[in-house]
Formats: sequence, C-alpha cells, structure tokens
Amino acid sequence: MATAAIAQRAAGRRFVSRHAGYLLVLPAVIYVLALVGFPLVLGIWYSLTDVTVAREGHFIGLKNFLDATRDPTFRLAVRNTLIIGIVSTFAKITLSVALAFLMLGAFPGRRVVRALFVLPWTVPIALSTIGWKWMFHSQYSVINWLLLKVGLIDQGIQWLGTPVAAMAAVILVSTWRAVPFGAITVLAGLTAVPSDVVDAARIDGANWWARFQRVIVPIIAPILFIAVLFDLIFTLTELTVVYLLTGGGPVDQTQVMANYALQVGIAGSQLGAGAAIALFLLPAQLLLTVLALRAIARREGL
Amino acid sequence: MATLTARTKTAVTLTGVRPWWRLTRGQRGLLLRSLAVTVYAVVTAFPFYWMVITIFKANGDLYNPSNNPLWFNQPPTLSNIQYLLEQTRFGTWMLNSLIIGTAVVAITLLVTVPAGYALARLRLPFAHPLGIAIFATYLVPPSLLFIPLTRVVHSLGLQNTIWSLVVVLPTISIPFTVWLLMGFFKNVPFEIEEAALVDGCNRTQAVFRVVLPISRAGLAAAGMFAFAISLQAFLYPLVFTSSTAVKPVTLGVVTDLIRGDVFYWGSLMAGALFSGVPVAALFTLFLDDFVEGVTGGSIK
Repeated sequence: MATAAIAQRAAGRRFVSRHAGYLLVLPAVIYVLALVGFPLVLGIWYSLTDVTVAREGHFIGLKNFLDATRDPTFRLAVRNTLIIGIVSTFAKITLSVALAFLMLGAFPGRRVVRALFVLPWTVPIALSTIGWKWMFHSQYSVINWLLLKVGLIDQGIQWLGTPVAAMAAVILVSTWRAVPFGAITVLAGLTAVPSDVVDAARIDGANWWARFQRVIVPIIAPILFIAVLFDLIFTLTELTVVYLLTGGGPVDQTQVMANYALQVGIAGSQLGAGAAIALFLLPAQLLLTVLALRAIARREGL
Repeated sequence: MATLTARTKTAVTLTGVRPWWRLTRGQRGLLLRSLAVTVYAVVTAFPFYWMVITIFKANGDLYNPSNNPLWFNQPPTLSNIQYLLEQTRFGTWMLNSLIIGTAVVAITLLVTVPAGYALARLRLPFAHPLGIAIFATYLVPPSLLFIPLTRVVHSLGLQNTIWSLVVVLPTISIPFTVWLLMGFFKNVPFEIEEAALVDGCNRTQAVFRVVLPISRAGLAAAGMFAFAISLQAFLYPLVFTSSTAVKPVTLGVVTDLIRGDVFYWGSLMAGALFSGVPVAALFTLFLDDFVEGVTGGSIK
C-alpha cells in the first residue's frame, strides 16, 4: 500500500518532469523553427514564384531554376563553385594532415605556436580577406615584389585581374583560412591513436608510410571525413572571400553561386530568382548533411 | 609519443655538431620537420606581418613601387590609425559589435542552457534525435537563408538596425551551443545532483547550486563561441545593415574604408587587426571545446 503510493507519486513526478523537460527544450526549438526552418521553407516557396522586392509572387513552377540553367553567369558560378570546392578540399586535406603531424607531440612553446597557427581560422574571414586583397594589389602587390626579387617571374601578375590567377587567389585564401581548423581536428583524431599500436607496427617492420597508411589513416579517417563534410557544406555556400577579394570578377570569372544569389536576389531585388540560385545545391547539401550527421552518430558509438 | 620526444631531445643536442649528410634518420627527420614548421609559420604569419607594417607606413612609403615593401623607407607614422579613429565611425562599429555580441550571448545562453540540460539529463524520450535535429540546423548555411530572412526581418520592422542581427545571429550560435552544452552536462556525474536532492534541494535548486557551477567551464566556452561567431558573421550584417551608424565592425571596416575606387589601405589594415585579433584571442582560448563539439567527441 505504502510502496504503491510512493511508486505512484514517483510516476507522477516523472510525468511532470518529463513534460517540464520538453518545456525547457521548447525555446530552442521555437527559435530554430522560426528563424531557420521557416525561412528555409519560405525560400523554397520563393524559388518557385516570381516574387520581387516590389510585388508578391505567383507560382511559376521550376521556371527560375530552368532560367538559371540557361544563364551563362549562373553556369560560370556553378563551375567555379565546384572547382573551388574540389580543389580547395584536396589542398585542405593534404595540408591539414601535414600540419597536424608537425604539431604532434610536445615541444617548447607549443601553446603559443598553436595559437599562431590557428590565426587564419580565428580571425574573422572578412578582415583577413581584406589583408589578402592588399597583398594581391594590382600595383603594390607584395607577393609580386617577392616573386620578382626571387626571379620566379619577370613581370607582375595581375592576381585579381586575370581569370586563372583570380581563381587561384580565391582558392589560396580559402585554403589558407581552413587548414588550421582541419589540422586541429586531425590532431584531435591523432591523439586518439594509441601509441602502442604504432610501436607494434614499427616493431613488426612497417616503415613510416606503411604505418601511416595501415594504422594511422584508418583511425583518423572518421574524424577527417566529418571535417571534410563540414567544410564542403560551408565552402559550397561561401561568398565572403569572393565578395571582398574579386567581387566575382574579372567579368564573372570567379563568380560563385552564393555571391550570384546575393547579386540577383538582393542587389537586383529578384527574390524568387535569387532564392532559386541560392537553393540550387540544396539536394547536394542535404546529402552532405545526412552523411555528416551519420558520421557523427557513428563516432559517438565509439 | 614518448619515443618521439626522447629522440627529439638527442637530435637537438647533436644537430649542431654533425653536418647534415651524417645525421641519423631521426635527426634528418627533425631537421625536415623544423624546416616545414618554419615555412608554414611564415606562410601563416606573413599576411599579418604585412598588415601590421602597412598600418604604420606613411602613404608616400606605401604607394611607391620602387620601395622595399617589407620594411620602413620613411619613418613610421600613426596617421593611418588617427584617420581610422577620427574620420570613420570605428568606435561606433566596435560598440555595435559589442552590443550585438553581448545580446547574442545572452539570448543563446538563455535558450540553450535549459535545452542542453533537459536533453542531456532528464532522460526524455527522443532526447537524442531531438538534439541531433537541433544541431543539424547548424549545417544550414546563411547563404541559403538570407533572401527569405530579409522578408522576416522587414516584417519585424528591424531592417537596418543592429537588432536585426541580435535576432538573426543566434540562429548560428544556438544549434551549436545546444550540442556543446549537452556534452558538458552529460559529463556531470548524476550522483552529485542526486546528493543535492537528498540534502533537501529541489531539482531547480540542484541545477543552480550544483550542476551549473560545475559546468561553468562549459558555459564560458558556450558564451565565448556565441560571441566569436556573432563577430565572425559577414553575410547577415551585409544584407541587414546598410547605414554606417548601425554596422558591426567586421562590415564597417571593409565597406566604409573603401570609397569608390579609393582604398584606405593603412586604415583598413588597422581596423581589421584591431577588431580581428581580440576575436581570434577569444576563439583560441576555447578551441579545444569547439573541436570536440564539432566532431562529436564531447558526447560519449
């Protein structure tokens, strides 16, 4: 009798606290639904209408998307977005792993060195991009000055004025910025590599490449995979570097999708067309997101 | 790791006495490693060196192609900094950023501390999928949302005010912070909270007197991230604020010091470094927590 009453009261308390628990989560859920979920749905709706800043839109089906595929600037933007995404991802992975190995182990001043190495990632990207823009200046480029001094070139490169050099500049800045984050992430994975496993491989006669390939890579691969997916999701939708460094120029040769969406949707007031450009890669983004979340869920299972 | 350090030490003492071709494999490795660290450090740091030296150069020195750009050819000057402080709204922008950052931190913590606590500790059914769903919104980049958000901001009457950013920027910080705090709260032993309950605290008191004080490192990390993230943002400020007086510093520096075709490079670099370096310092302090959060390492 007494135990039953206690059990009942406990159950009652659990019931209350369970519902109170959801109440505690509610503000976060409402915030995210109102300002991420709702705009995302509204954006998808916009992309299917001819809405502008001045007038409400009518449903026009996939016309915005079809128009975009026929727009030469949009095609350039897709091409450049993919080139920047793919090239910089490979560069970032290679350099991140290399830098992680450099920073591995204890050495004097490690904390200071690490704080310096992560500067490109911790300084707001808009501000460091302006620094790079000055280094790529058409007349006073310090990079050209150095290259001329060393004798690698015999006349200054118009970094932001020629298509290939401008793409290279965008990729360079984007890579320079992301490598520290990649390196720190890989480092977090590397410290999880048990040193006795590596030692065992060494005793078994594995050279450093074999140890790297067979022992270290399998252990850091999951964390690297997550970092790459995160980075891709944001790189494919990035516009700060392009907006500030080249403005998409010369003549749209470094135009990327997010920056073009900004030009069409905000500067050009074509909300519907802009939304379509911004959301063009949404299916790919969703796929990357699902992969990233699954990879994280797998890691949690460790 | 231990062997690596040991070998490093012997190599350091021996590198000086042997020519490089007579080094052992380990010593050559160390030499190569030091070389690589140096090269990388130069590449990383050079842009910042270049920004710093630009700040203190006179215009006549900066804009003369025959000068050595790496050092001063005329005496250093404070005129670029003076221009930034006196001829632009740099102070206003810094203040705007401070207000926006503080408000974003407050909103973020108010919303995420209860959510993180509930999801981590109340054994709610579906707590885990709900946590992942909230975190997933972190992966919806601003460039997918800014066009419809202009309409949302407009209907709230917040366009071209710093409050538009106070309302919108937590969408970046909240999802991540919930995730981060879930990890921190999970690591507080249940026994401690139960002991407080036995001692006569109710649940709320137990949270405020025991759980939150123990998790203060996590709360500090979460707050700093919300602050740093709100200062890193560029697209939302660009789209939602247009008047000089309401811009945050990241936007103000890179837009208002470029007048038509004229770039005030010295002052630009000064503004960028003065506002960027504090953000970087904050971020660096809590780097490890951030990486753990991103890679799911804090939830076990």
